[in-house]
Amino acid sequence: MMRTVEVLLVIIIITGAFIIASFFAVLPSPRQVSPVNLRRLALTTLQALDQEHDLSEAAFDTDNATLWSRLQIALSASLPPNAIYNLTVFEVGGGGTELYTPLRSVSNAENLGVASDSSSYLVASSNVTFNVIPEKIGERGGGGTLYILNCSDANGWWITGYTAQSLAEDLYKLLSPYFVSTVMVQNTTQLERVLNKTALQGETVQNAVVINTCGEAVPMPAGYYASTGVGYDSVHSSYARYCYVLGLRVRQYNWTWVSIVGYPLYYVGNAALFPNEQNSWGIYGMRQVGPAGMNGFLQGLNNEQYTYDNTWITGDSDSDSRLASVHLTPEAVYYCNYYGIYPSPYHTATRALPSSILSRYNLTVTSYVFEQVGTWIASAVFRHGVSGSFLALGLTRTPDIRLTALSLLCDFKPRLYRSDYTAIGTSRLVVLQLGLVGGV
Amino acid sequence: MTGATIDHLVSVTVFLVAILLFISLFNQTVQTAIIYQRHRALATKCSDLLDNMMLNPGIPAEWGRSNCTPTGFGLQDPEFTQYKLSPFSLMRLQSTGGQPIYYPKTGLYYSNITMGFGNFLLVPFTEAINYSLTSKLLGTNGTYGFQLTLSPVITVSVVESQAKNPLRISVSVSGTGFPLANAELSYCFITVSLSGGEGAYPAYVIDSGTVYTDEEGSALLEFADVNSENVSYAFIAYAHLNGLVGVGYHERVSSENQYVIPLIDNIAEKRVLIAHSYDIHYYGPPVAEIAYNASFVILTEDFTLREVPLDNSTGSTGKVNYGEGYPYSVITIPTYNPGILIVTYRKSAVEGGVVMMPWGLSSMAFPVTFGADPTGQEWVATDMRQVIVNGIAYQAKLALWSLEDYQVMG
Repeated sequence: MMRTVEVLLVIIIITGAFIIASFFAVLPSPRQVSPVNLRRLALTTLQALDQEHDLSEAAFDTDNATLWSRLQIALSASLPPNAIYNLTVFEVGGGGTELYTPLRSVSNAENLGVASDSSSYLVASSNVTFNVIPEKIGERGGGGTLYILNCSDANGWWITGYTAQSLAEDLYKLLSPYFVSTVMVQNTTQLERVLNKTALQGETVQNAVVINTCGEAVPMPAGYYASTGVGYDSVHSSYARYCYVLGLRVRQYNWTWVSIVGYPLYYVGNAALFPNEQNSWGIYGMRQVGPAGMNGFLQGLNNEQYTYDNTWITGDSDSDSRLASVHLTPEAVYYCNYYGIYPSPYHTATRALPSSILSRYNLTVTSYVFEQVGTWIASAVFRHGVSGSFLALGLTRTPDIRLTALSLLCDFKPRLYRSDYTAIGTSRLVVLQLGLVGGV
Repeated sequence: MTGATIDHLVSVTVFLVAILLFISLFNQTVQTAIIYQRHRALATKCSDLLDNMMLNPGIPAEWGRSNCTPTGFGLQDPEFTQYKLSPFSLMRLQSTGGQPIYYPKTGLYYSNITMGFGNFLLVPFTEAINYSLTSKLLGTNGTYGFQLTLSPVITVSVVESQAKNPLRISVSVSGTGFPLANAELSYCFITVSLSGGEGAYPAYVIDSGTVYTDEEGSALLEFADVNSENVSYAFIAYAHLNGLVGVGYHERVSSENQYVIPLIDNIAEKRVLIAHSYDIHYYGPPVAEIAYNASFVILTEDFTLREVPLDNSTGSTGKVNYGEGYPYSVITIPTYNPGILIVTYRKSAVEGGVVMMPWGLSSMAFPVTFGADPTGQEWVATDMRQVIVNGIAYQAKLALWSLEDYQVMG
């Protein structure tokens, strides 16, 4: 009998333990188990209300009853019928001891119960001008000079609708904030000085970026650089040798040479040197070099012996139909947004360089601007294994100068330092607290 | 001795029964707690998955505007950040809301979002992204089922309250929980002219304007020029207030059986087919040739509708008929700006009408339901976000459930 009594006592003890355990092991209500993410809902609601900056306007005009009435209507209309809310605007850093000072609040309930959540959203006054300071290219690694060939004595080709000078001005506006110094090379005499590593305005010649705004033509100084055996190949009656020397200089000074459109270095230009010669299309002051110019440049960049090579190397839509419409790479699209430069996302490439030049001339691509199509590279920055780079935008005319700027920024990736939002009176904090009524 | 043995047996039996009973009770509590934990994990997963869909554009980023099959799923508009979705990616989702239709002349099935007569969005299965593929891309295949619903936050209902002399159209605007009082209402009113001889193309006149809703979110518009019940027209209204924008529309036609149906043909090439309704709805003869005249309107930044002319070379006018030997027509939309393709049609001098198709899901605030059916699932977690699709406010709701079999034991 005693054992039965003992067992009954044990049962009573276990029952007590179960009841006590059940009392404390309270399972949450379904709403707590599987809640709507009110924090995210609040944030997205605030973003939706501010998509036309109406929320910002109301936050900075807390005494305007009409604005706040409209805001409350929009808020009520956008939230589910069982949602209750409290929207409060705070002044940020009003100068007192409190970091956030409440200014105005609207709500559709006396309290939001125990299961509420909130999100905050910082709005800026429309009067605020935010400043962006770009990192200067070369300020830490040396160099940082941008040369823009704005030679008044050289004509351009395939820059239809523009002049080299107008393109140079646009490039100056777009790119000068990103470089330590920007120098406009005003004529071929100044170009000759730069090629001789003589600074024009005290800038650093080494590691510079040189943009040729003359399109398929390149300005050529008269004199030494046009002389036989230096710039002139008397055997083939060609100035392809000048392009070869340019390649050597790019390597020697670790320059980045930029061709903005078409077949690079297809003509050489100097109005005084070629007053009676034309490029076979009626533009006087320049002379056709043909594909030998680009081939010579690459030979120079690779520090090879000069040999005249007039082989056409670029491709167009006849080579690959996809070159008819090449698209910006995802990286380029990203930098469009980062730098706020928005060229057309697709273009026609009629002078795409073949990928075979990479192994032939010891080059690597550091940035693709447009997607590579098969073996054709429409636009990219090519870096030589030892020294020197060139950017070739092998697109059809007319050039989009924004692509040139974007390509360089994609390659150098200077950072943008944006100003803070913390100035007194320029920012306000909007907090939307949400709760749900009804249900379990 | 016997009594002690009986006492022993009884006590052991009672003890064992009691222990089993308590083990069962405790086990049930523990099991229920585990299930609750799984439900909580499901809710977290639901929120994460919804953000995953809304906050990345997918791979490639422009998949919504192309014919390619994405290798990463995401609905964010690649040109924006935050919760702004691409109207074209949404257009490529294979809707489960409507019954798919089959068009014999292309031999294809079409995902069907039809919002009343004359408002179609038909995307071929070859261009649409289906649930199975999306599940694989999201990594939920075999582990979770989901249904994504996007519905406009603002409902703009348009009702004809008087047919003629003058035509009166009543517009009422409301949000999910409240009427939209004092909202600006930009409208576009298109009347169809069926004059001209046999075989003539219909003409249309576009009239636009702006009014405001009253305290109850309603507005009444009058069109004095409409003096007959046979005048076909289309009415499109955009309501906006404090960043919330909604769209409403209404058509009246005089030929309801024979009309034209626009079907998306190729999104990358912006091509739309114009089909005869009999080819899709299989009505019998007699059949009449239908002449059509298409136009395209876009919503500008100041919330007015602007017509973008379609060149005749893009197929803006044409004729379609039913049956063998009568091919469909093709229209090329000139832009990737979301807008509305308005196709006026003419069956005879007294019968005609107008149909519309959104180019980009949001242009007509079409809802979309994508995914599997949650009916009958043991536990479905839901979460929602307010999103913007080309300026139009939508609510995105995701229902998620586990496909792993578990249940409460005991």
